Amino acid sequence: MTNVSTLLPDAALGAARRLPSARALSTLGRVTRHGIESVGGGARFAARTLGAVRDVRTWGPSATLHMRRVGVDSLPIGIFIAVFTGIVLALLASYSFTGAVPLYFVGTLVEKTITMELAPVLTGLALAGRVGANIAAELGTMRVTEQIDALETLGYDPHSYLVVPRVLAGTVMFPVVVGAAMIAGVASGWFASIGLLDISSADFVKGLRLFFSGFDVRYGLVKAGSFGFIVTLIGSIRGLRAGGGAEGVGRAATSAVVYSAVLILVLDAFWAVTWLLGSRP
Amino acid sequence: MKRTNDLLVGTIVLLVILTLTGATFWAKQTDIGDRRSKVVARFRDVGNARVGNAVVIRGVRAGTIEAIELSRGGWVHVRMNLDRSMQLPGAPVVLLNESSLFGEWQATITPRSALPHDETVQAQVAESSGGGDVLPGATLPDIAKLTAVAGQIAGDVANVAERVEVAFDERAARELRSSIKNFADLSTTLSHTVRAHAGDLDTVSRGLQSAVASLNRTASSAELMASRLDSSSASGQVRQIVDDMSHAAAELRRATAQVRVMSEQLSRTQNRLDSFLSNGDSVLVKLNTGQGSLGLLLNDPSLYRNGDSLLTQLRGLVTEVRTNPKKFVSVRIF
Repeated sequence: MTNVSTLLPDAALGAARRLPSARALSTLGRVTRHGIESVGGGARFAARTLGAVRDVRTWGPSATLHMRRVGVDSLPIGIFIAVFTGIVLALLASYSFTGAVPLYFVGTLVEKTITMELAPVLTGLALAGRVGANIAAELGTMRVTEQIDALETLGYDPHSYLVVPRVLAGTVMFPVVVGAAMIAGVASGWFASIGLLDISSADFVKGLRLFFSGFDVRYGLVKAGSFGFIVTLIGSIRGLRAGGGAEGVGRAATSAVVYSAVLILVLDAFWAVTWLLGSRP
Repeated sequence: MKRTNDLLVGTIVLLVILTLTGATFWAKQTDIGDRRSKVVARFRDVGNARVGNAVVIRGVRAGTIEAIELSRGGWVHVRMNLDRSMQLPGAPVVLLNESSLFGEWQATITPRSALPHDETVQAQVAESSGGGDVLPGATLPDIAKLTAVAGQIAGDVANVAERVEVAFDERAARELRSSIKNFADLSTTLSHTVRAHAGDLDTVSRGLQSAVASLNRTASSAELMASRLDSSSASGQVRQIVDDMSHAAAELRRATAQVRVMSEQLSRTQNRLDSFLSNGDSVLVKLNTGQGSLGLLLNDPSLYRNGDSLLTQLRGLVTEVRTNPKKFVSVRIF
């Protein structure tokens, strides 16, 4: 490939770079290049991680440790968020339905909203902060303290040893946490409807069962798995690319949370468009 | 530590999976262990009925729709799960209908005798009957169809109203108003006529009653006369009576002729009197309206005053002639 700069005289290039419009175009080109590089780098990273899954001997021993950290230790926060979400959702539904829609639709709304949307997304966002930042900070610290270089020197593949168990733990355990959050959210909405609203248990159950479908649960769990994959992958990428000491580690953790949250919402829309529209009755 | 992690993660994963699966089965009312009886019904169209919709017997929820599948012959088979304790009514028929205004449908199992009196439903049930173990079914129209039909009816009514508005203009209204008024007048006249004829009928009826009474009296008299005739025929009194009656009849004829003559004279006199009265009336009318000399004399006060003034002047002239005749009479000889 021929570089453009070799075809033009240095003076002409310098003059062109000093023009305001040329500077704006350069900025746009740089941002675009960085964006494409990020996507390409992320795709290469994901491909390398998936390739490293075969090295079970390396990542196997630490898998359950990460599953516990990512999943079991995240259960309280996931259930806590879901419980309060369920209560507020039931109250909001009751407030909105007064006089116009039968109150047993509170059960329908709580079930549909919790299982299909709020439990996966809210839990995913919460775990993006907890798990994503944790992974980015942990791996970033290892990077700046050259522990990863040491691992490579010892012949360990950092992807097999560090990334794969975390990504697998996130992909497997996010649905577990979200599943627990679904149950907790619907149950709390049920109890709130009985205790705080003028809805009988039978009415809530009638509404819950009215439009319930196994698809609701499948949809929520698959979304949760994809969120777990993306959160742990982003945390690993930002951590392994950290540099510049403690400040760099902090930046890596922050960017991991931000990118994870944004990508969770993007993935949420992606699943809605590709799966929800396709399965509309 | 590693074993603890394994145990903890395994337990949590298993617990969540079991709980979630159980909750899903509970929410879907899945028949685990095949503890429910199965009922299949066939339809031509199942509307908006979906798997999981309620099955209702006499208003009580008795199960759910388990499957809806297309079948041969253009039928749709709906398989339903029913509680074992539920007993189907005699000659059962399955109706698919909306259970609320919010799009919920349900399958109602009802005896054939309790079907709604609707030709379409009856035809659907009749068509789907005879399927062996498969129950006959019919689908009731949903709110959207009913609304569409209502909308069509409303459109037709609007068209009719528009046509009536075109045909029933101001002139037609006036004519109708006039017709109603005429009818009212006619009704009043009829009422009067009926009332009058009712009086006539009363009169006729009273006359008839009177005639009947007279006939009764006449019959009694005839009977009495017959008995007297029987008693007097033997002594020649009948002959005397007949002679007397003949004489009386001749006298009566003469009197009648005289009365007729008098009547004719009276009629002529009446005609003259009428003529006299009409002439007098004419004269009086002329007098009152001031026609003719006498009328003018009677009705014009100036004529009276002039006449009176003339008499006064004549009287003065006569007096002056008497007192001074030479002033007016001059006799000359030669």
